[in-house]
Amino acid sequence: MTGLGAIGSFGGGRQDLAAALLAGRPHLAAVDRAAGYHRSGGARLAALVGGYDLSPWVPAREGRRMSPPSKLALAAARMALHDSGLAGLAGEDGLPGAAVVISTSFGPASYTEGLLKQILDRPESASPFLFTESVANAPAAQIGIATGATGAGLTIAQREAGPLLTVLRGTAEIAAGRAPLALVGTVEEMTPLLHAVLDRFGALARPGDSGDSGDGTEVAAEVARPFDRRRAGFLAGDGSAVLVLEDAARAAERGCRPLARLLGGGRAFDPSAPPTGWGEGHAALARSLLGGLERAGLTPADVDLIVSGASGARAGDRLEALTLKAAWGERPLPPILAPKAVVGEYGGGFLAAAILAAAGVPFGPTAGFAEVDPELGIVPHRGGPLPAPARVLVSTLAAGGAAAWLLLGAAE
Amino acid sequence: MVTGLGVVSGLGWGVAPFQAALRAGRTGLGAFTRFDHSGHRTHIAAQVPEPPPALAARYPRWRRLSLADRFALAAADEALAQPGLLPLSERADPSRVGVFFGSSTGGMWEGELFFADLLAGRARLALLASQPVSGPGDAVARHLGVTGPVETLSSACSSASLALGTALDALRAGEVDIAVAGGADSLCQLTYAGFNALRAVSEIPCRPFRAGREGLSIGEGAAVLLLEPLDRAVARGAVPLAELAGAGASCDAHHMTAPDPSGQGAAAAVAAALADAGMESGEIDFLNAHGTGTPLNDAAEWRAFERIFGERLKDLPLAATKANVGHLLGSAGAIEAVATVLCLTAGEVHPTPGAGAVDPDLPVQLVQGTPLALAARAAVSTNLAFGGSNAALVFSHAPVGQATTAGRDS
Amino acid sequence: MPEAQATPSRIKRLIVTSLNLDGVKPEMIEDDAPLFGEGLGLDSVDALELVVALEKEFGIKIKSQELGREVFSSVASLSQFIEGRS
Repeated sequence: MTGLGAIGSFGGGRQDLAAALLAGRPHLAAVDRAAGYHRSGGARLAALVGGYDLSPWVPAREGRRMSPPSKLALAAARMALHDSGLAGLAGEDGLPGAAVVISTSFGPASYTEGLLKQILDRPESASPFLFTESVANAPAAQIGIATGATGAGLTIAQREAGPLLTVLRGTAEIAAGRAPLALVGTVEEMTPLLHAVLDRFGALARPGDSGDSGDGTEVAAEVARPFDRRRAGFLAGDGSAVLVLEDAARAAERGCRPLARLLGGGRAFDPSAPPTGWGEGHAALARSLLGGLERAGLTPADVDLIVSGASGARAGDRLEALTLKAAWGERPLPPILAPKAVVGEYGGGFLAAAILAAAGVPFGPTAGFAEVDPELGIVPHRGGPLPAPARVLVSTLAAGGAAAWLLLGAAE
Repeated sequence: MVTGLGVVSGLGWGVAPFQAALRAGRTGLGAFTRFDHSGHRTHIAAQVPEPPPALAARYPRWRRLSLADRFALAAADEALAQPGLLPLSERADPSRVGVFFGSSTGGMWEGELFFADLLAGRARLALLASQPVSGPGDAVARHLGVTGPVETLSSACSSASLALGTALDALRAGEVDIAVAGGADSLCQLTYAGFNALRAVSEIPCRPFRAGREGLSIGEGAAVLLLEPLDRAVARGAVPLAELAGAGASCDAHHMTAPDPSGQGAAAAVAAALADAGMESGEIDFLNAHGTGTPLNDAAEWRAFERIFGERLKDLPLAATKANVGHLLGSAGAIEAVATVLCLTAGEVHPTPGAGAVDPDLPVQLVQGTPLALAARAAVSTNLAFGGSNAALVFSHAPVGQATTAGRDS
Repeated sequence: MPEAQATPSRIKRLIVTSLNLDGVKPEMIEDDAPLFGEGLGLDSVDALELVVALEKEFGIKIKSQELGREVFSSVASLSQFIEGRS
């Protein structure tokens, strides 16, 4: 991984994200509830990109028709290319043969909503702009057009597991000799409608859920508490993270020092999961996790650090904990980071944080964690120095059943 | 190897009515009742008919499933029954099975119903259970008890073809022993209105590659192909139907809606698929084109075929299944793959319905009227998507390199 | 204001708003300047979006066969077409 672009509630770029992770506090904003989708007493906050200025990366003229996810993903892709030293190349000659693999959970939500409103009002008023940019693959397509990437252009839709799956697929394209490099990552747009629906499903942390008072602002803070006994939901986020994946030899040839290396990974499914929740299949998931380690020639003892997708979701964190414990058995777990309490669920903050963790960036205390859950017995990182990680396990269990893991190694 | 097929389309539930209709040159495109289309310029689609009562009765939660989920489950079960893989939990190790799906709309139809209700003040959350595009693929995995990899791709019209390519990768890598690959999409207002807004929809059933063609037609349904290595199929006594010999993908990097008119992106996908199959273009005996029936697509696709097949193109039999079942969007690649396999196993290329002469600027041997008897060695199926994502698949009749590479491919 | 003036300025305003052309003032668009390809550099999807906006603004229906290069070549040609239909 030779370049990272990330845009979210924390700002834009590696520095901004690293600062937020070290501080261990999310940047929250009030969701616009004017449309009336939200119910009273429900969640009101999210970790949003908000007004972050994308125009240095995507000039207004170029982005005039693009949906918010397309602009975000293109900006993150250019940021990643710049970070990896490939920006000039992409601008002039394009990236022939490069693959683009982007994931999204819900697609271009605001354009879809706008289009539906037009159709419900008068079908013939449907906007071509909105339609062409409401397809899930619009961000990947726009990245392809802007960077001249003519290899495979794929969009993975597998909810929260999507970001890790794009890394696995991008790596496969390179390993198979089908692409010299890959732009992989994820993008999400957290609209008021989406936020309200997630809240109505009971998925989000709510005001006063965990007995905390606010910080002086008008609403009590909604706190996502990964692995905590009182956890009651996750923090919604949005934004985009894009990585540049290159073959190690190619990167070395360019004199580029990678952020991290991909050592392996795995993917699986838990059929006991209901469509919008988590199930009980930790034993089988643990076997798949161990299988992934084994294929990389590793055992749990070799893992120095876990970056967990635990988000504060009641059943999700439970399944994650049980899966990790089943895989580790009797031996103690290594330090566990749970960045979703800072970056939120969706939008790539998690993927970006995982790369930074493998790159040795320091993390602060896990936001929201105060009290261990005796059933889970997991205490995520409390702050302070971590040993330089040589092998990092990144784990995500998606609502609906999909699971994905990455094994990252430090750059040589 | 492909050892099982399952289909749900405007031509009916199951492979049998699908194949019979294809052979007879029938189309499922016509009047439809899913929603009020009086405000649109066009009034046809290929809507899936009501299921046979016995089929619906097999699924206890039928009424709570989204339409796309229903199509997907029925097609998946049909594809697994054929090679004797039901119940899956008894016939295979579920951790060695993967589900690879493509979809554009997932449960969007139900999502539209939810949104309309929400605007009227009522939130019926149950309608959203399978709304994401990953809904149908996950539903299949849940139904079959799969614990291996499950992945849904959503790259517009090339989704399911790319999913088949993903399945092939997973089998070759030894990540799975069985791949359930396909797609499901249901007719919804968003895509119907959207394509009409682009003036891309034909008022009469689409007429791919014909002179004066006016646009595409929309369909719905699901298709599933069961893929497994040859030796496993043989050991179980399953009959190999065809081999998925190769897959290729590329991106036009050109424009969000218009294909690259030079056809070079699409040609690159076909070339990649042939290379992946270890085959030459001269070994391809017929084509199943993306063939949407829009003036631009068919012309660009023809250019792409010409780059690959040159002089041979005008004599290569060609079928455009969208004239029979409409454009299934994300799952089009799967249903067209099924049609391609059926042509290989039946030794004939199905006719493509529609009136009017073939466009003289795009000389192709469009099979018309009755099936063309052809003991084909191999075929190429193409799917070219919105946003420039191109996919091509190569299917062959006999296992490629069977004698020397047993167990390598599927 | 005479009818002949109103239509072109309405069209120019629609072009700017419906096509998200921030930074372009309606008055900056000349009546005879090419809209597609060169000039404003609009493309086929812009044309379709403009059609939806024109149909709504002028209460007309534009048939697909009428979406030709000549009608849409400039504000002047569009204006002529629309006045012929109103």
